[in-house]
Amino acid sequence: MKAFTALTATELRLLFRDPASLFFMTAFPLMLLVLKRGDSGAVPGYIAMIVAIGGIGALPGIVASYRERKFLKRLAITPVSPVMLFGAQVVAQVVLGLAGSALLVVVSIVGFGVEPPRNLPLLAAAFLLCSVMACSLGFVIAAVVRNARGASLIGMLVMFPMIFLAGAAVPRKALPDALRRIGDFLPLTPGVDALGGGWSGTVAVFPMVLLAGIIVAGTAAAVALFRWE
Amino acid sequence: MEAIEVRDLHKTYGGTRAVDGVTFTVRSGETFGIVGHNGAGKTTTVECLIGLRRPDAGTVRVLGADPARGRRALAERIGAQLQDSSLPERIKVAEALRLFGSLYREAADWRQVMERWGLAPLAGKAFGDLSGGQRQRLMLALALVGDPEVVVLDELTTGLDPIARRETWRQVGDLKRAGTTVVLVSHYFEETEALCDRVAVFARGRVTAVGTPGEIVARTGTASLEEAYFALEGDNR
Repeated sequence: MKAFTALTATELRLLFRDPASLFFMTAFPLMLLVLKRGDSGAVPGYIAMIVAIGGIGALPGIVASYRERKFLKRLAITPVSPVMLFGAQVVAQVVLGLAGSALLVVVSIVGFGVEPPRNLPLLAAAFLLCSVMACSLGFVIAAVVRNARGASLIGMLVMFPMIFLAGAAVPRKALPDALRRIGDFLPLTPGVDALGGGWSGTVAVFPMVLLAGIIVAGTAAAVALFRWE
Repeated sequence: MEAIEVRDLHKTYGGTRAVDGVTFTVRSGETFGIVGHNGAGKTTTVECLIGLRRPDAGTVRVLGADPARGRRALAERIGAQLQDSSLPERIKVAEALRLFGSLYREAADWRQVMERWGLAPLAGKAFGDLSGGQRQRLMLALALVGDPEVVVLDELTTGLDPIARRETWRQVGDLKRAGTTVVLVSHYFEETEALCDRVAVFARGRVTAVGTPGEIVARTGTASLEEAYFALEGDNR
């Protein structure tokens, strides 16, 4: 436990030291909110966007660079398993995502008079599922792409279209038909739906089950495909 | 007492026999050198010692345990500095030492380790901003922060300038005086000769000689360990 706490604290510190992660997970969603004049329907989508930026956009580059720098190998000869570092990375992503989301929610309520979420525990559960789901996809990318630059690039290439097509950065209603249909097959879409359900107070059972399924499948794929060196 | 026992170790990677029947023992408290040219099987052997690789055949015992089975328990008692392993760019020196200290059940005081290895002035510096010598010193300190009984140092001084190398040699001497068993892997014969009580000379995945540097030199009728290495190479060809 002592080791896991120390690893998590370190990962969080490093994330907070990364200007890109910090900006895109905290300031950027606020800017979008201002541009949309505090549109209440947009907030759950922005929360999904925040965790996708961290888990899918940033995490693959971080994990692949740990492998490339042989930091994972170095950890493997300590009493802790490098897998513990991955757990710490997930917790750090969840915490930074939570910080960014909380800031966004507070500003939307206080600054723009958005109606507060109806079911906070449900919203929290949806947030956790969505965040862990994004991280599991990030690990799949880090497992498949060998070098750090490549993993970072692929992470961005997967994340950017997804936040637009899944209805996170812009509502899917605004998309042309063909593009909207693509969204049906993207893993972030149930995340947006689950968060929207939590906000409005309706339990989105199917999206949440889907998210859990993607987490299991993604983690299994990452475990099967990951190369330590 | 023997700290490390390696008997008839074999390891093959995709058709290449990296280690082909290696046998040697390291006594508790001695500084033991593994010397030979690149590709001689030194690093593979060491990676079997610290549980990073599983031998194809042969036995390895470190502090009485099999590293391939009891890796975790053994990791509490071994420290290692690996060839070109590094840390995240933005982690600071003090943070790295504190982090690694917290990974062990019983660790040395990381602040003391930082002081002792002259890293205190660099405490707030990010890993990415350190010079090659400073990085090396930090990685060495990280190998010791768990207060190990056995320390494995792989190519400790490669890439260091002569002053930093001499300084590192002095530090290895300090370890020895503290009673730590040290396995020093190197392709510098001069370094091995100066620091090690006993040496295993590696060539093409085999050990061509084991003994004190003086014994090996005398046995081959040469003037230095490096010459002895080439004399042994000639015998095996």
